[in-house]
Amino acid sequence: MNWYDHLPALVLAVPLLGAFGAPVLGLSGRYARNAWFVLISACTAALALLLWQKASMNGVFVYVLGAESWKLALPSGMSLPIRIILEVDSFSALMAVIGSIASFAGTLFSLRFMERFSGLDKFVALYFLLTTGMLGMELTGDLFNFFVFLEIASVASFGLVAFWRDRPEAVEAGFKYMLISTVGALFVLLAVGLFYGRYNAVNMAAVGQMLHLGLPEKAALALLVAALAMKCGSVPMHMWTPDAYAEAPAGVTCLLVAVSQASLYGLFRVCFSIYGMSIGSSVVPWTIIVMGLLSMFIGVTMAVIQKDVKRLMAYHSVSQVGYILLGLGVGLLALKDAKAMADYGFTAIQGGIFHLMNYTMYKGLLFLVAGALAYAAKSRNLNELGGLAHAMPHTTFMFIIAAAAIAGLPPFNGFVSKLLIYESTFAVHPFLPVVAMVTSVLTLASFVKVFQTAFLGPRRSRLAEVEEVPGTMLLGMFSLTLVVLGLSLFPTWSMAHIIEPAAKALVDQAGYIRAVMGGGL
Amino acid sequence: MWPKIHSGFGYWDVVSWLVFFFIVSVFVLWFRSQGRSDYKEGTEQDDIFFCGNDVPEKGEDYAVPASGAYWGFTKALSGFYELLTAWHSGIATEYTGYLVVFTALMLSLALL
Repeated sequence: MNWYDHLPALVLAVPLLGAFGAPVLGLSGRYARNAWFVLISACTAALALLLWQKASMNGVFVYVLGAESWKLALPSGMSLPIRIILEVDSFSALMAVIGSIASFAGTLFSLRFMERFSGLDKFVALYFLLTTGMLGMELTGDLFNFFVFLEIASVASFGLVAFWRDRPEAVEAGFKYMLISTVGALFVLLAVGLFYGRYNAVNMAAVGQMLHLGLPEKAALALLVAALAMKCGSVPMHMWTPDAYAEAPAGVTCLLVAVSQASLYGLFRVCFSIYGMSIGSSVVPWTIIVMGLLSMFIGVTMAVIQKDVKRLMAYHSVSQVGYILLGLGVGLLALKDAKAMADYGFTAIQGGIFHLMNYTMYKGLLFLVAGALAYAAKSRNLNELGGLAHAMPHTTFMFIIAAAAIAGLPPFNGFVSKLLIYESTFAVHPFLPVVAMVTSVLTLASFVKVFQTAFLGPRRSRLAEVEEVPGTMLLGMFSLTLVVLGLSLFPTWSMAHIIEPAAKALVDQAGYIRAVMGGGL
Repeated sequence: MWPKIHSGFGYWDVVSWLVFFFIVSVFVLWFRSQGRSDYKEGTEQDDIFFCGNDVPEKGEDYAVPASGAYWGFTKALSGFYELLTAWHSGIATEYTGYLVVFTALMLSLALL
């Protein structure tokens, strides 16, 4: 048996083992639990990288759970796939890499950040369950399993957001997230039920092959777009994000950013791989574009007035999701027109995917920096911070890189993806990049405010004893800084080897369907 | 010569930008080196000029708080911000209501 063939299953099995093993390892003490925490996270990231490498070399491939052979998608001459099928292409593998890197960085950061608190066995277990849910959403080729993994991720998130249960704000944030997520999950389940009722199938490729746009299909699309847009924090359903992101422990918030992108991945998998050309009129693409514009502008304007550094960054998450929605919405709009797709649509999709990757990395880093400030200065209130650059030089350095990247300053990676989005969306209407650029200016203004009030200026007397955060916390931040710098300094390589194959995989509906409906052989 | 990212309308070349940044940095350092040579670190030359007054001992007495940043911007857009903050009410049922209303709107648009 070649273990390389079983990579898709291993990417899910390893963090799941980590979740169930954490309480057992916790019995052996803090060091054993921490070692387990790091080991499982590192293994998951390494396996995700190998999976991405395999998808880059082999193209789209399937992994069938419970079949005689792992690649037998249609056993015994059946016309529909019935087993749990994982389907991996360059886009889903890239998402797994992004998510597992964020998970690894959050793990390193959490080692010291969380050591002041009790219940860490449960924390590690929930953390790995969240990682499993996220990776499952990204690798599954089955709509019902997507719902199951969405629920696994959601339930783990509720626990982690409300982990500091002695804080009423944390419990409230967890409750709000639970309430809205449960309604959203119900919509997803309803949509899956509609597909099953129509086609006797829940496999994405099978549904995509048979899909004819009728009323049930339109209803399912509307339900999925609304629910998944809510889960990724799009306006007007973004209100859970500032509460949840601000109250979760910083390492968890870093992972929650990646988890929200798994929902965004689901949204675009539905639009491109299941519906594709059958998506009908321009209503859905334009809805996604308008959601993107509103998310960008409302997110950033709300961020400008925040005084809590984590809430400020949470509103920026809403704003950054808007860029991704804008890019991929324009790509979806151009899907039916080959010339439009060649002229600007594919560039918009590339810009959207590149921004998704960039956003997860620098936003994860920014949340870790916010956690470092809270850890060292015992406050998230910017009015109570000041002059920390001398005391925390390494954190300051990494904050500057992340802030410059999110503001889209050249030569950082955020600039490259924003440039692709500006120039491609301009072809649809000049108003679109204007909103995006105004958002970028306000993003810069907002982070200048954070830099000026937290790191520059006179140090508060209360902060006289503040020191740099411990090494493992710095290491967590540094791992993401390294990725941001790599993407900034090697954008051409990143585009050619990471982004372009992912964008091609996303728009290749026929290839996605063929991998399963061709029998998988 | 160097690999570029083409957006369909223009391109981005990180190496050219870094070369440009390096040249500008050289000029900036050269200008800086032309400054006063009698500057001494740690002397009264380092003192903060605080409108001719003594600098308060506590940092918080003369720091600009975050809530004061972009005061003019938020004041000018106060109507917009009142609307926006009222919308973000913090009430969980309202948040869920927005999801339900948006879904109903999406269903109406998609089915029409």
